[in-house]
Amino acid sequence: MLLRLPILLSLAFGLLLLLAPLALDDWRLSQLAQLLTYGIFALSLSFIWGQVGILCFGQAIFFGTGAYVMALVTLGKLPWLGESQILGLLLATLAAGGVAFILGLFLFGGRGITGAHLAVVTLCAAVVIEIATGRWGFVGGYNGLRGVPPLTTPWPRDDIYLSGLETYFLIFAVLAAVYFLLLWLTRTPFGTLLAAIRSNEERTRFLGFDVTMAKLFAFFLSGMVAGLAGGLFAAQFGFVSPQLIGFALSTEVLIWVAVGGRGVLLAAVAGALLVRWGEDQLSDQIGQYWLLATGLLFIVIVVIAPRGLFGRILDLSPHRKS
Amino acid sequence: MDIVVLIGLDAFSYVLTLLLVTLGLVIIYGMMNVINMAHGELFMLGAYTVATLLASGVPFWICLLAAPIVVGLAGLLVEEFVIRHVYGRPIDTILATWGLSIAIKQMIIIVFGPAAVSIANPVPGSVNLMGVDYPAYRLVIMALAAALALATYLVIYRSTTGLQIRAVISNRAMAGSLGVNTRRMDRATFAVGSALAGVAGAIMSPMISVDPQMGVGFLIPAFLSVLVGGLNSLIGAVIGAGTIGGTTSILSANMAQADAQIIVFLLAIMIIRFVPQGLWKGFR
Repeated sequence: MLLRLPILLSLAFGLLLLLAPLALDDWRLSQLAQLLTYGIFALSLSFIWGQVGILCFGQAIFFGTGAYVMALVTLGKLPWLGESQILGLLLATLAAGGVAFILGLFLFGGRGITGAHLAVVTLCAAVVIEIATGRWGFVGGYNGLRGVPPLTTPWPRDDIYLSGLETYFLIFAVLAAVYFLLLWLTRTPFGTLLAAIRSNEERTRFLGFDVTMAKLFAFFLSGMVAGLAGGLFAAQFGFVSPQLIGFALSTEVLIWVAVGGRGVLLAAVAGALLVRWGEDQLSDQIGQYWLLATGLLFIVIVVIAPRGLFGRILDLSPHRKS
Repeated sequence: MDIVVLIGLDAFSYVLTLLLVTLGLVIIYGMMNVINMAHGELFMLGAYTVATLLASGVPFWICLLAAPIVVGLAGLLVEEFVIRHVYGRPIDTILATWGLSIAIKQMIIIVFGPAAVSIANPVPGSVNLMGVDYPAYRLVIMALAAALALATYLVIYRSTTGLQIRAVISNRAMAGSLGVNTRRMDRATFAVGSALAGVAGAIMSPMISVDPQMGVGFLIPAFLSVLVGGLNSLIGAVIGAGTIGGTTSILSANMAQADAQIIVFLLAIMIIRFVPQGLWKGFR
């Protein structure tokens, strides 16, 4: 019975999110929908960090790329593409995946770099891209792009804009789809290979697996997920700015995932919801203390509880008999 | 000609202050494989120590002496409560010290508020040097930074303590079995590394904006210097700080600062990617 507790809790967590609209007014619901978008973003980092063991300090590069591509497409800044939202989301996902692929080639190709070098290089890449975005007039420079249209229905009807409830369920569905896809992936032989890379990269390489390709594909996938989250975020928030693509958000998502529990996908989502919710709900004055508490909690988790707050209770992997 | 002298002086003063921050990082990394993301916040603590003491009427030069002591003590606390628990887990040191950097930054915001504090220039006026008028205090900064860097070098390469430090760096187990108290060494190294960051912050405080975000602005260039020069080597730190600081100053004189930063960071990323041992060891 005890073994099945994580499954029950995971289902309860899903059910809670599904029933949340019953208890929340429109404003709070749209807030929660945004948090779910951050949850998708957290999934992307949890996958690359928790499953493959690549500590990426620049995950917001992909989120921001997605957000900017979505904004550019739906604002009609790329006229030859039309202004379709579906196309925008698709391109946001692919563009972020492309950026991740190129960055991945650079990081893992040849002899590759790992550990601290990789962390610092991705961190610097995020800083460079943030500054460059702020200097680039076409994407709005420091002011970013305003007035990104909210989500609409793809088919015609009276009011084409999605209501708060519809938006919420759309984001929830995307989150669930991404979650189950990644969860399924970790159960395939490919997922086992990724876990092997996480626990000992060199040994996996010696066993004859193409570690570089596997890491590259995982990074590409993680980038796509982050880009999709970014695209959804741009439409929900209506505004993109260089902060979305840079250093600060990259480190924030790292904290959400670590606090939740990096090794378990759903725990990372829960971490993102909890930390962001605290930041949004508390007023400025107490908010400062919340950030302080988050920083301290983060230290404690890294030092003594690497599985995070929810890592143990939401762990779905079959228990080994030891 | 004047402009060349001016840029040269600017570059030199930036390199020297960057070197102070970098030296602390290199010593801490070399000694205990700890990548200290909170180093920028220790730098900031040095500057805020000066600001606080100045406000209560302490003369600037005394503040300058107090800063390394205060920040060194802070370093001791940090070592005791956080760092020593993550020895041997390099990736976790990055994360734990990153959490620390957030916590310190938030504490400063809560205590001092988010706005910048200004610190009066203790040595106003300028000196005529090779045909250009140069701010006198910048020359003081250069002299202090150079003296401190030299002192660090002498301690590490010419003193018994330095010998022990180098012994621990090259083979911890062997040094321990030969009677070096490695635990005490770790503590001392972390405190000294922190104190170096603190004194750098204190020295720089009259020239830059002292605000809760100032740490990151110094952390990233310092990190790049460490990795570009090569971890684990003091000479590497000099080369790294020279490369990063020199290029930044020279480029900033010719273009917008943001563009200069982009170029320097890209250059650094290339070096780190293709010569991960750093310039000092990579090309020998």
